[in-house]
Amino acid sequence: MIEVKDLTKTYGNLAAIDKISFSVPKGTILGLLGPNGAGKTTTMRILTTSLAPTSGKATVAGFDVVTAPQEVRKHIGYLPEVPPIYNEMSVISYLRFVADIKEVPESKKANRVGEVLEMLDLGKMSLRLIGHLSLGFRQRVGLAQALIHDPDVLILDEPTRGLDPKQILEIRKLIKSLSGQRTIILSTHILPEVSSTCDDVIIVDQGKIVAADSVENLSQRLAGGKILDLEIKGSADEIGKALEKIDGVAAVKPLGRESRGVSRFEVSTDGSLETREELFNCVVKNKWVLYQLSPVGVSLEDVFLKLTTKDTAL
Amino acid sequence: MNARKLFAIVRREFSAYFASPLGYILLFAYYLIGGYFFWLIVSRTRAATMSYIFQNLTFIFLFTSPLITMRLWSEEEKNGTAELLKTSPLTLWEIVVGKYLGACSFFLVMSAGTLVYLVFILSLGNPDLLPLLSNYLGYFLAVMAFFAIGLFASTISENQIVAAIISFGVLLILWVIGVAGESAGGNLGDFLKYVSILSHTDDFYKGVIDLSHVFYLLSLIFMGLFFSVKVLESKRS
Ligand SMILES: Nc1ncnc2c1ncn2[C@@H]1O[C@H](COP(=O)(O)OP(=O)(O)OP(=O)(O)O)[C@@H](O)[C@H]1O
Ligand SMILES: [Mg+2]
Repeated sequence: MIEVKDLTKTYGNLAAIDKISFSVPKGTILGLLGPNGAGKTTTMRILTTSLAPTSGKATVAGFDVVTAPQEVRKHIGYLPEVPPIYNEMSVISYLRFVADIKEVPESKKANRVGEVLEMLDLGKMSLRLIGHLSLGFRQRVGLAQALIHDPDVLILDEPTRGLDPKQILEIRKLIKSLSGQRTIILSTHILPEVSSTCDDVIIVDQGKIVAADSVENLSQRLAGGKILDLEIKGSADEIGKALEKIDGVAAVKPLGRESRGVSRFEVSTDGSLETREELFNCVVKNKWVLYQLSPVGVSLEDVFLKLTTKDTAL
Repeated sequence: MNARKLFAIVRREFSAYFASPLGYILLFAYYLIGGYFFWLIVSRTRAATMSYIFQNLTFIFLFTSPLITMRLWSEEEKNGTAELLKTSPLTLWEIVVGKYLGACSFFLVMSAGTLVYLVFILSLGNPDLLPLLSNYLGYFLAVMAFFAIGLFASTISENQIVAAIISFGVLLILWVIGVAGESAGGNLGDFLKYVSILSHTDDFYKGVIDLSHVFYLLSLIFMGLFFSVKVLESKRS
């Protein structure tokens, strides 16, 4: 449904996005994850035709964003970073206005506005001025606007920004319920958003894709890499060497010395219980003292930070 | 251009003027000042003509039209609503013309006061209708040209004050350039005089409809809209 190939946007010397390629099959929810300035918004602005790419190609619903922008616009609903609302309008007159410019058939307009108001729980607010609404409600009006013409493709830039925890859950549920026939891209810095809402995830950093996978795979990869935190009393050098020799140990990283001759290590293993036993046996055999042996949980958070801070890759 | 979409933009733009105090202040001040001028002119000249009042009103718009047009695009950029318009199935011409007509509709409401003057003049004397028509045409075209220039200025800056200053600057130059033309003389002088708005409105207020002046003012309007579209186009890249 969405195809992106070598998409690049440069501002002077800065590449806001640099040869990004990905595709989103119909009915999928893709999460674009990345730190500030990663290029999420830039990517979305290109896909929604508000910005022209410097080079590369992007098609939405089969239409090229550069050569057939008008067609693309008919197929997308877009929630920009800042909800595009007019403070001086009432919620309902705003949605009617958007329905007009988005070509919702006149005969279906009233119905559709009603549906969307209900979907976002805005019914009670329909006559209020948008400028008088709280941040979260304004965000919902922004979402309502993106849905009004029932588009095939939804592009949502940080859709849960400014919402309270209860609303966040509701909006995530709504987004999930909207998939099916629709294709959705959402951007976020928040990992739980990706794991709870998305099918696929792309992690971007400094304009480049650093990881792309299904959420399921990524979580599995994370769970698979079992890392243990060990504290052992003894010579750090000897311990390090001995631990590395154990089958099932991939790497040993000394984390420095604690008090009373106790050293800490981060040991990457195959994750099996046998390896843990071997580690314990090794300590006993060498007559060291084991102070601690505990698994370190690797969350999406860690991967995210790891991938988006320079030195390491997954 | 799609009528429904265009009309939606015109309507939204028009009602936006009545959502802020500025709109009402402008209307009120305009009726007040216009009425005062009218009374002054009629009581002095005792002539059944509207040309002086239109001349004055045009002059007032030289200063006030930047205030009316400054928000047209700057506000959309600032509020982030530009993003909505640019990603909706609208052409840039629909957006620009819609906004322009929205502002012109507000101008129509502002000018409703002149109907009172018209009725007064008609009851006062027995004026020729053609000069009156010419007066109205000149006034409408001139102010609409001001608006087109103001809209263009608004596409240039996100800051409304900057947009107002730019449009006021351009209008002032177009206004006084004729004076410079008088003193320059020669070909350059002729050219400057031709570019000046003043040299194209005077005849209307004398009661003469000269198509070359109509053409000049329409060109100014077209250029304002055309360059607005071009600026918005360039913002995409
Ligand atoms: N108009 C512009 N002119 C110059 N640089 C820009 C412009 N717009 C974006 N950039 C730069 O492009 C890079 C990517 O910005 P972008 O807004 O896409 O990031 P983002 O991933 O959406 O970040 P955030 O999470 O903070 O919203 C940033 O370094 C930003 O400074
Ligand atoms: Mg962003």
